[in-house]
Amino acid sequence: MSDNNSGKENWKKGVEKLLKGGKAESLNRQSPEGFEIQALYDSEDVSKRNTDPGYPGEFPFTRGPYSSMYTQRPWTIRQYAGFSTAEESNKFYRQALEKGQKGLSVAFDLATHRGYDSDHPRVVGDVGKAGVAIDSVEDMKILFDGIPLDKMSVSMTMNGAVIPIMAAYIVAAEEQGVSPEQLSGTIQNDILKEFMVRNTYIYPPQESMRLVSDIIEYTSEKMPRFNSISISGYHMQEAGADSALELAFTLADGLEYVKTAVESGLDVDAFAPRLSFFFAIGMNFLMEVSKLRAARTLWAELMKEHFQPKNQKSLMLRTHCQTSGWSLTAQDPLNNVVRTTIEAMAAVLGGTQSLHTNSYDEAISLPTETSSRIARNTQTIIQEETDITHTVDPLGGSYAIESMTHDLKEKAKTIINEVMEMGGMAKAIEEGYPKRKIEEAAAIKQAGIDKGDITIVGVNKYVNEKEDPVDILDIDNTGVRDGQVNLIDEIKAKRDKVATKEALLAITEAAKSGEGNILDLAVEATRKRATVGEISTALEQAWGRHTATNQTIKGVYESVYKSDKGYQEIKSKIDAFSEEEGRRPRILVVKMGQDGHDRGAKVVATAFADMGFDVDVGPLFSTPEEAAKQAIENDVHVIGVSTLAAGHKTLIPDLVKILKKEEAGDIIIVAGGVIPVQDYDFLYEAGVSAIFGPGTNIPKAASKVIDEIRAQKA
Amino acid sequence: MTIDELAKGVQEGKRRHLAKAITLVESNREADQQTAQELISKVRSAKETIRVGISGVPGVGKSTFIEALGNLLIEEGLKVAVLAVDPSSPATGGSILGDKTRMETLSSKDEAFIRPSPTSGTLGGVAKRTRESMMLCEAAGYDVILVETVGVGQSEFEVASMVDCFLVLMLPGAGDSLQGIKRGIMEIIDILVINKADGDQEKMAKNAVTEYQNAFHLLTPKYDGIGVEFLTVSSIKKKRIDAAWEKIQGLISVLKEKGIFEAQRKEQELNWFKRLVEDEVLRRLWGSRENKKHAEELVEKIKKGEIAPALAAKKMLEK
Ligand code: B12
Ligand SMILES: Nc1nc2c(ncn2[C@@H]2O[C@H](COP(=O)(O)OP(=O)(O)OP(=O)(O)O)[C@@H](O)[C@H]2O)c(=O)[nH]1
Ligand SMILES: [Mg+2]
Repeated sequence: MSDNNSGKENWKKGVEKLLKGGKAESLNRQSPEGFEIQALYDSEDVSKRNTDPGYPGEFPFTRGPYSSMYTQRPWTIRQYAGFSTAEESNKFYRQALEKGQKGLSVAFDLATHRGYDSDHPRVVGDVGKAGVAIDSVEDMKILFDGIPLDKMSVSMTMNGAVIPIMAAYIVAAEEQGVSPEQLSGTIQNDILKEFMVRNTYIYPPQESMRLVSDIIEYTSEKMPRFNSISISGYHMQEAGADSALELAFTLADGLEYVKTAVESGLDVDAFAPRLSFFFAIGMNFLMEVSKLRAARTLWAELMKEHFQPKNQKSLMLRTHCQTSGWSLTAQDPLNNVVRTTIEAMAAVLGGTQSLHTNSYDEAISLPTETSSRIARNTQTIIQEETDITHTVDPLGGSYAIESMTHDLKEKAKTIINEVMEMGGMAKAIEEGYPKRKIEEAAAIKQAGIDKGDITIVGVNKYVNEKEDPVDILDIDNTGVRDGQVNLIDEIKAKRDKVATKEALLAITEAAKSGEGNILDLAVEATRKRATVGEISTALEQAWGRHTATNQTIKGVYESVYKSDKGYQEIKSKIDAFSEEEGRRPRILVVKMGQDGHDRGAKVVATAFADMGFDVDVGPLFSTPEEAAKQAIENDVHVIGVSTLAAGHKTLIPDLVKILKKEEAGDIIIVAGGVIPVQDYDFLYEAGVSAIFGPGTNIPKAASKVIDEIRAQKA
Repeated sequence: MTIDELAKGVQEGKRRHLAKAITLVESNREADQQTAQELISKVRSAKETIRVGISGVPGVGKSTFIEALGNLLIEEGLKVAVLAVDPSSPATGGSILGDKTRMETLSSKDEAFIRPSPTSGTLGGVAKRTRESMMLCEAAGYDVILVETVGVGQSEFEVASMVDCFLVLMLPGAGDSLQGIKRGIMEIIDILVINKADGDQEKMAKNAVTEYQNAFHLLTPKYDGIGVEFLTVSSIKKKRIDAAWEKIQGLISVLKEKGIFEAQRKEQELNWFKRLVEDEVLRRLWGSRENKKHAEELVEKIKKGEIAPALAAKKMLEK
């Protein structure tokens, strides 16, 4: 020990000499998670924290849930994909499976997510756009055509319309000759985080929780190889959460689900081994490795403390990971291959069970064939060309990793305790607490980037002046929609009407009475060819559709930015405008269609308000008619359409048309979000004044918006 | 758009024109103020309307209540305008207004017009613009005007002084809120609604009514022989919203019967006239650059002890 002490003193002296008198401690940094990252960790740091990571496959599983980990079998390469029709997506899956992918992961379109059939008037811009359109079991059968469901593990990201989609999957398998017992895979079924960040909820929270527990019950009885839920932090990080918030809220969600299932009468060991998790892996390499290790440790401890399971497997956190899409840029997009590789490495060194790696065109459009191939190969290369897989938890015992694992775990524990004091995650969500925390973190991050404190290569530093055009995957949503509508009509014409109606009624009744298992009834209705939309509606008739309470934050963006001269100049420019105009510039920030990406809209809204705009925030899921009406009544100067799910070419021209009809053609439209440059001219011609893509510097955008208003007035 | 076009549009009930007219009323520009007054005198209507003020602490459920009530009124064939006033102007920058997201179905209805207003730095404060906006809405054919205001500062009193019925929403935890109730508010309430009477809070809400009834018992009523009405609702579950509307209508018809309705509106106008005169005097006093400079000089002198405040005041007014 004394050796160690004098060693540390010498090191400090060395550093201070290099710093020319500065203190060694000045090299320590405060992490966004709220603890100190030391410039150096040593054995004393580890012993001080009194942590012993133990062995892989043993409580508390810090070093991995399984003893052999990748030395026996590497993680599952599971790429999330889906677009257009079932037929198109099926073709894509089969190709990917030939090329080294091991499991499927289905991305549904937003109409499906929100429980609307493709023929619903609210989804004209969304069908087949950001995922595959599934309206019925017939579509599901096409989706898995030629893919043996008894062999292939299938993960499905579905939460809102989880009942009809699970039912369609079960019945599609049945008609392939595969029974529920043989099915393996995962259903996301994590509704809590939908209310927080992902926004594809349908029913109110309490009723939605009933669905979660009905599914857990159903699968624990009939689908022993199927993970009944994937408790997801991924979307929280993508919405802005730092690693501590992501970790804490995810595990707190997990506890809430376990509590609900136990209260509904299930034995904890009957389902806890089939819980799975899902985390995002961003660019903060050491932190992310530590996060996965901390997650396993903390989950094991929490489960033991709260539910005392008998089966060790109930304590074991198994997880899927996805590299962060948010960290990827539209600018100089090949840089994204590098970013994704680094993140994939962190996921692997953290000990993930399966992994999705993003494509380099992530911030531009859905992946193309080429970009998907590179994304997949990022993993095959790590698996088969490096020797990383041959040692379990190779970073275990690193002073830094062990210390950070411990510190992050402690930080998360503090947040979880706060949540517990509020009465658990469901209550905290009702009060809007986690969402607010995440939105604040997002605003702080954005201000840091806009100000230049946080570097994003190609965006705010080392900018590539001449960008090469990137190929994109553009889906003809009108074409897909027409095809889907025909299929729906066909099914409805052929089926036994009375039987379908009765089956749907039974669902509504069960929803009202609280009796029976709703998934069970939905499977029955699906056999009778009830559609996804019809089953959703049957539940909606009992429970209604949930509308979220939109909260807004103020002053957070500015608190980071205040001291900046450029920022103050923009503020003065806006103040000058207000003086002349007799009121502040007024903007409606609006989301149209089923696109639930609200991080950008929220950040822009709060930043614009801080800079001096009066900002109206529209509700999620507006139609162009609703957006126009609100803009007119509030008499805004500008409508700022934030669009990320590729509905822009349908919805924005509609908006323009309606404004003109209402004699409000002078209201300016600007658009922001994921819009490929290929679409810019189309939008300008449609009447859009300015377009702000990913990586937009917000004060600059605000300045441009003022110029546009002035130009319009002139 | 000329002022005549604007006036015509408002009277034809055109959404775009009404919205523009309200902007004019809200404008801080001197010239706009003139035009706004002209416009208002052009469109004055004699239509029978009901003006309801809806107040309560932040988060009590005002917007949600309006969503429910507004939809009910529309079902009854009425046209509804909502003016949402947020007096909590931010320390710096603009406002961020998310109220309409809580009036989602109402805001998409043809028969509804909803206008949330930021208040940062407006001439004449909340009262002026809201009153004038209200008149514009009436001219545009809206039957019921609902004014939402957060129970902060003076705004509640201002709103109460321009409506026929002043309704305050309260939370179920009565004991606690009784203590927090602002001085003078109890005297201006017509209808006290306990919101969020659903789930575990239903019983608590019922108890709250009794407690409030007892507390209000000691007060002299706002009008002779007309007591404060109490009820519980759940805005989110849309329960007893019809009862709330009945109480509002009940009050209006009693006021009409007793001849108070008209008299009150007249009195409100007279008070309003006085207020305008006072505001204008003050504006002329402090508004001109010359006067401001003069005042600053006097202030400096008072600070240095060169002149007594009373004398300085006299000098200021002599000018
Ligand atoms: C974060 C994210 C998510 C989060 C969203 C969290 C949230 N609450 O917002 C989560 C994980 C939940 C998510 C889910 C999905 N996502 Co996503 N997501 C992203 C991601 C990675 C980043 C978006 C983001 O928030 N960036 C940060 C913000 C600050 O940037 P921004 O929105 O671009 O805003 C900036 C500018 O665009 C501009 N701006 C934007 N709006 C406005 C408005 C005005 C007025 C102004 C002036 C400026 C402006 O200024 C902002 C500041 O710089 C993008 C890819 C990417 N890198 O862009 C995919 C992406 C948008 N997602 C995609 C998809 C498909 C989905 C899903 C539909 C997948 C599925 N099938 O299940 C789901 C469903 C979500 C839903 N309900 O709609 C696709 C859309 C494909 C397309 N357009 O063709 C993308 C492009 C990824 C991809 N290439 O596949 N996603
Ligand atoms: N349980 C329950 N919740 C309600 C009810 N009415 C409103 N709420 C909830 O209370 C919160 C605040 O509602 P709002 O209508 O925005 O309240 P407000 O008074 O308009 O708030 P401000 O405009 O911010 O002052 C929201 O989360 C509503 O969903 C109700 O009757 N019951
Ligand atoms: Mg409100």
